[in-house]
Amino acid sequence: MQKLLYDRFSSKMYGVCLRYTENVEDANDVMQEGFIKVYKSLPKFRGEGSFEGWIRRIFINTSIEHFRKKVKLYNVNEVHENTIEDAELDALDSLAAKDILNIINELSPGYKQVFNMHVVEGYSHKEIAEILGITEGTSKSQLARAKGALKKIIESRADVIKNNDKEEKK
Amino acid sequence: MQNFKNKLYDFEAAPPEKIWSDIRKELSDNKSIEITVRKKSKKLYYLAIAAASLTIIFLGSLFFKKNSTTPSGVATSVSPEKMRDSMALNHKILESIIHSPKEKHEIVLNDLQSADIPKKYITVAGPEGQPVKISPKAATLIIAANNDFPPKPTWSKKVDKWQKIMLSSSMSPTFAGIADLVVDASNMEKLQ
Repeated sequence: MQKLLYDRFSSKMYGVCLRYTENVEDANDVMQEGFIKVYKSLPKFRGEGSFEGWIRRIFINTSIEHFRKKVKLYNVNEVHENTIEDAELDALDSLAAKDILNIINELSPGYKQVFNMHVVEGYSHKEIAEILGITEGTSKSQLARAKGALKKIIESRADVIKNNDKEEKK
Repeated sequence: MQNFKNKLYDFEAAPPEKIWSDIRKELSDNKSIEITVRKKSKKLYYLAIAAASLTIIFLGSLFFKKNSTTPSGVATSVSPEKMRDSMALNHKILESIIHSPKEKHEIVLNDLQSADIPKKYITVAGPEGQPVKISPKAATLIIAANNDFPPKPTWSKKVDKWQKIMLSSSMSPTFAGIADLVVDASNMEKLQ
């Protein structure tokens, strides 16, 4: 039963672990810790919402806890960052998932957490603030900075991205 | 359009095989811990049941004790209908005693054996109509003392003395009420 569950969800959850952690070693630790939590918490699953969503939430929380043990996320003064339009990140669309992940992994851990939670998972800034123990303003600032950093990374890799675009059109 | 979000959300990667073996190992280690935790919780469960049972028994005993003391308590616990019936019956008994001097002792005893009469007390009307409880034995003695049959000179003296004491006392209207009633009953007998 446990092995079946692991086989069914391990690939997806390992993807989540790789997105939220700094390196493969941390991802492996979170993966192991996350599945132990899932097995122990199985009786608590009430069948509300999807099972995959429930497991994903456990892994995200485990990643955040793991991250908290290593890095203390401080509130920053709310500075009006230059808002980066999401359209400026469209360049990422042409890349393969693994390449996108490599670019995301270049972000600092704090930026990556907020970016993943807001942009990929769809958490609101209020939810992020509650989960990470920061203010909503800090969450917004971190996201803006994360997008700015991503824009710079994309610009620095413009040649690679253009080549990918050409290959896709062919 | 913003496909990278979906790509990242659905991103999958095969985890190293070592992870599963580590998970399995940790799960097998945790099993023993889980069992001990369950044992503890079972003990707590039984303790809780025992505590709850003791509490229920204690409360139950209090409840029954209270209920058992209530009937022998104050006269207000008797329902008005029961009181009225009892008073009517006792008046009937007294009247029959008065009108049948030879058998009054027997009548009181016979009526006391009836299931309708309270066993410990007879309720009679006081001078102001208030219900007064007297012992049926005392009532029998008082009536018997005033009667010639069977002759009880010692009791008659004692009852006369007691009646005088009770009539002269202004402190206890209830007992005076009983005395008045008994005196009235004996006067009526004499009149007959």
